[in-house]
Amino acid sequence: MTAAVPNDTAVTTTAEQRRSYLQFDMLIIPLVVLLFMGIFSFHFALLVGDWDYWIDWRDRRWWPLVTPLAITVLPAVFGYLLWDKLRLPLGGTLTIFCLSLAAWISRYLNFHLLANFPMDMVFPSSYVGLGLLLDCMLLLTRSWFFTGLIGAFLVGLLIYPMNWPILAQYHVPVEMDGILMTVADVFGFEYVRTSIPEYLRIIEQSTLRTFGEAVTPLTAVFAGFINIINYWFWIWIGSLGVKAIWIRKIV
Amino acid sequence: MRFSAVLALIFLVLSVLIPSLAEAHGERAQQPALRMRTVEWFDVSVSTKQLQVNDILVVKGSFVPSNYWPEHVHSIEGASYLNIGVPGPTFVRLDSRINGTPGIRSTAFHKGELYNFEITLKARKPGKYHIHPLINVESAGPVIGPGIWVEVTGSEAQFTNTAKTLLGQTVDMEHYNFGHTVAWSALWMLIAAAWIVYWLFSRRPLIVPRFKRVSELGQDADAILTPTDRRLGLLFLIITLSVTMGGYLYANDRWPITTPLQTGKVHTPPAVQAPMPLEVTMGEARYRIPGRSFRIELTVSNKSDRPLSIGEFSAGNLRFINSKVLDIKPTDEDDLVAPDALRVEGSPIPAGETRKLVIYADDAMWETQRMTTMIASPDAVIAGMLFFYDDQGKRYYAEIGGPMIPVFG
Repeated sequence: MTAAVPNDTAVTTTAEQRRSYLQFDMLIIPLVVLLFMGIFSFHFALLVGDWDYWIDWRDRRWWPLVTPLAITVLPAVFGYLLWDKLRLPLGGTLTIFCLSLAAWISRYLNFHLLANFPMDMVFPSSYVGLGLLLDCMLLLTRSWFFTGLIGAFLVGLLIYPMNWPILAQYHVPVEMDGILMTVADVFGFEYVRTSIPEYLRIIEQSTLRTFGEAVTPLTAVFAGFINIINYWFWIWIGSLGVKAIWIRKIV
Repeated sequence: MRFSAVLALIFLVLSVLIPSLAEAHGERAQQPALRMRTVEWFDVSVSTKQLQVNDILVVKGSFVPSNYWPEHVHSIEGASYLNIGVPGPTFVRLDSRINGTPGIRSTAFHKGELYNFEITLKARKPGKYHIHPLINVESAGPVIGPGIWVEVTGSEAQFTNTAKTLLGQTVDMEHYNFGHTVAWSALWMLIAAAWIVYWLFSRRPLIVPRFKRVSELGQDADAILTPTDRRLGLLFLIITLSVTMGGYLYANDRWPITTPLQTGKVHTPPAVQAPMPLEVTMGEARYRIPGRSFRIELTVSNKSDRPLSIGEFSAGNLRFINSKVLDIKPTDEDDLVAPDALRVEGSPIPAGETRKLVIYADDAMWETQRMTTMIASPDAVIAGMLFFYDDQGKRYYAEIGGPMIPVFG
């Protein structure tokens, strides 16, 4: 015998209620995953785009600076929603996981099968660990302030070392026509991109040239500091979104 | 209404099921002013029109950046790059040279100077391709040259492309350590998936009960988090930092010698041009729209010791041939050569004389190649290249340009 549910609804038993809640999960979770895949893909294409599409664009100055700033936006906004309404430390991991999934599908279908680029030239970088950093930090500190101060800083700081295991092999030097290049540069030259000439790449263009050869650590620390502010800002945007009446009505 | 909807649906389905073959690169879509007044291409040729996967194709030719480059278009003298217009990497580019200088990096080309180029390609994917040389100009876009059809047969699976590093390793460019890349990416995805599964699927049902509970707890909502949750958070944080650092050290150990991505801009010296023993000034130029006829008045001074005749007028990759001087036929159905479309009044020009000539370039190509929209140009200036031949077949060229007046009736 099941207990009656004291509500004036079509659900009359706790078993039915549980079943309806499960059905709600089964409906909402896939939809949210698809939504994150779509939104994040567009967002990332607009803000990072070629920096992540091509192996010869992921330089040590701009790519590790632009990418964390762009990749922190949705984890912060949706992270606030998931934490505030459900106490789920999932905003970072889930959104970036969805981005990575969509990126791999898109690179394979669009860049490889349709446009004929070899996958080893267009594979997406690994970002999902950055989401884990944000989520774990939020869970452990339960503070937006410290998650930004430590977690968002680590996102900027670690994006390059996190990807170095797959990028290092592309930075092995090659000589071509008497010019020093890397394997990644050879990809960029040999695999023809009609509308992406060499001059469009933004490589090594910045003023961070102090501290000798320590270009990447300096960029990483700089990206980390900038990303703290960036994270706090988007958390604030997320908090405004959650307060919005239309969101409350939906939730 | 319903009939229209059905028609629209049928059209949609058909347009998806029967896609038309995209055979060109939109060269006709470019403004005529852009085509006529940016780069004068000539002598573009390919080493072969039939080849197998892995065979070499050499695209050669010459170009002169126009002296009449539009003021409203960014100059080629800034940053530019000799490229090849093929549908994606259906070929790989093994070498590119402009006047002998490697064209790997960006450069600058100077107006009025001659550049001879040679691009070496290797066929990668079977198909029929319209290959164009092109020059990307920073902030202006691609300036496309004449196209030539090439057919590649064979199997894509047989394609090979290798590079040798300075450390002596031979790199397979098609599958370079891709298993390693996938494994590393999969490792991160698995770690993340474990985190997601724990939070989404270890408590079922999740969303509604959790939302209610968090709402009930209000300021004390953190109480919903269990000690296991926190221990797991710490564990995943340690795993994330350990994998990051471990991977970084592993990569440094496996690839100890690396260099940053390389870039830069190279200087490409112009070719030494033989002195042209002629001077050409363009007078009145009128384009008669209904007749698709261009009438251009010229003053030509022949400073050579032989008579000169105009054999060809080339503008925006359209070639108008004077059949009395040259016998040139289109090499394929899309070769923009009009073999008998140039009429010259007043030619040949005797040695040492200055003469006024009138040329008529009459052909439907003006229309079919959408050059008639030149009347919409913001400055109504045209340019083109004239090719002169002496009685021994020696060729000279001169660029002409100036204002154009349309004739509507």
